[in-house]
Amino acid sequence: MPAPRRARTRLTCGLAATAVAAVLALAPLAEVTGTLREALAWVAGLAMVLAAAAALRLGSLLGPALVVLLAEYTVVLVGRGDRIDAAAPLFGAGLLLYAELASWAREARPGVSDERPVLVTRAIVVAASALAALGLGVLVLLAATLPAGGGLARLAIGVVATTLTLVLVVVVARPMSTRAPRG
Amino acid sequence: MTRRPSAKIAAYVGVAALALLAGLTLGRPELVAVAAPLAVLVVAGLATARDPELDAEVAVDRERALVGDQVTVTLSLRAGTRVERLEVLLVVPPGMEGPAGGPGGGPGGSSVAPRTTGTPRTWAAAVTLAAGEERALDIGLSCRRWGAYWLGDVHLRAHDRFRLFTWERHLDRHAPLKVFPVPEALRALVRPAETLVSTGSHVAPQRGDGIEFADLRSFMPGDRPRSINWRATARRGGLMVNQRHPERATDVVLFLDSFLDVRGPAGSTLDRAVGAAASLAAAYLRQRDRVGLVSFGGFVQWLQPGGGQTALYRLLDTLMETQVFATAAWKGIRHLPPRTLPAKALIVALTPLVDERGVAALFDLLARGYDLAVVDISPLARTGAAGGEWGGLAERLWALERETLRHRYQRLGAAVVEWPDALHLQQVLLEVEACRRRAGLAPG
Repeated sequence: MPAPRRARTRLTCGLAATAVAAVLALAPLAEVTGTLREALAWVAGLAMVLAAAAALRLGSLLGPALVVLLAEYTVVLVGRGDRIDAAAPLFGAGLLLYAELASWAREARPGVSDERPVLVTRAIVVAASALAALGLGVLVLLAATLPAGGGLARLAIGVVATTLTLVLVVVVARPMSTRAPRG
Repeated sequence: MTRRPSAKIAAYVGVAALALLAGLTLGRPELVAVAAPLAVLVVAGLATARDPELDAEVAVDRERALVGDQVTVTLSLRAGTRVERLEVLLVVPPGMEGPAGGPGGGPGGSSVAPRTTGTPRTWAAAVTLAAGEERALDIGLSCRRWGAYWLGDVHLRAHDRFRLFTWERHLDRHAPLKVFPVPEALRALVRPAETLVSTGSHVAPQRGDGIEFADLRSFMPGDRPRSINWRATARRGGLMVNQRHPERATDVVLFLDSFLDVRGPAGSTLDRAVGAAASLAAAYLRQRDRVGLVSFGGFVQWLQPGGGQTALYRLLDTLMETQVFATAAWKGIRHLPPRTLPAKALIVALTPLVDERGVAALFDLLARGYDLAVVDISPLARTGAAGGEWGGLAERLWALERETLRHRYQRLGAAVVEWPDALHLQQVLLEVEACRRRAGLAPG
């Protein structure tokens, strides 16, 4: 008996998200060797477990899963030295793709069946977001390699960007819920 | 609508902030490239999120139905702005059942299915609405149990494009629906001991104009020539006339014991009682009798005896509101208005004989001289098989106690018949009638 569409959507998105997270967790291990690799393997394992749990069961683990994946990648970056990782935009797009697929899996509630246009639109938005993330990552890396402005200018841009992001954190941290009268 | 941010926003912003700080601290532009998409998506989501303009109406295709019928609930949705994903959830009350497949209406032929977890059940679907679009979702519900229902408990949940916010709204559009039990075809009813003076279908014990032959007597001045029995006249040598029983109507009061409802796999005693009451009411009213109702329980309802189609609808409406209302207060029939129980009325009691207040009320009716017929809706089969030796013993004791109670009623002049699950109401009524004949309560 074929599974209902709502179960298919949930399972497909959850498994796809887990697969993306596995790639994100395992790919950086190829960059390191020795003790660091063994230590990062544990981190990668933890990241995969968290990512799978966030996608398939516990949506609240999405944040911790992203943080652990990011931490593993950061350690690998530090181990690379001064060489810029050209695959960083791919990692950024993959991270976003994982997060969107995991959210989609959680959004497909049991008992609620999405009609086809909803699924198609959602798939388009997720794919477009991942592609846009890839493009944006490439642009950021290109901007970082431009000689103009020197290190101080880049540092200033980084400080401004970080400040803006922290402002965004403050904005998001404020209560955004509204309550309307029952209608 | 109530707006709620999703957990995704906090995760994205937090990870973006961490990555940017790490990138700034470590001097790694790669981390900025990782953080930028997350931050940009949140900014884009915040910038584009608008409260959706939604309106919804609920309508049911009819206000009355029979058990087993299918009714269609139409959810009409109107969107002022585009809604990327709208979850529509209809609460299906207990006693109704959601559709097995997708909705019959609505463009796009969307496939939706009911959620059948818990009670009450729900029916849910997710749709996309363009700005200005109107959509009608038809949901077929099966009526599984009699009762008065309010349909229209709808929950709406809208999502934005990036799924950063949800907007929720609860609609409580009361669309009434009354589901009546399917009346059984009854060919024979419990005949009353006494009748009214109005014309009806019951053969009265009195003599008068009618069809049923009663006796012969000598001709008296004023007798109609067509009443003369010529054969008897030839044998007796004097004019003899036929006497006949007139056909009269009667008052019937259906006495429903709603103190307790014993439920089991075979159904509930109250369901059976209500179904039987509806069938009896329809059958007696067809015979031009006047029918009243006393729903005697935690919540007492009554209807004075009345005749015709109007009385049937009033009675069915009242029956549909019958429910078990738990109370410890003692209630007797003295709480009922006197006109609810006319002196010559036949009272047909439908009771599981479980609550002592209901049992005592029947004794009270007998003590007041009412013509009483009791249909004992047996709860024994509904309680399930008793486990163990003690359980079996308890069950036998209970059955004996009930048997004793029925004998006490019979000694006081009431016809009492147990109604097990296997029997139809018609068979039970025939048993009641036989019991009344043996006790000399019914003609024949």
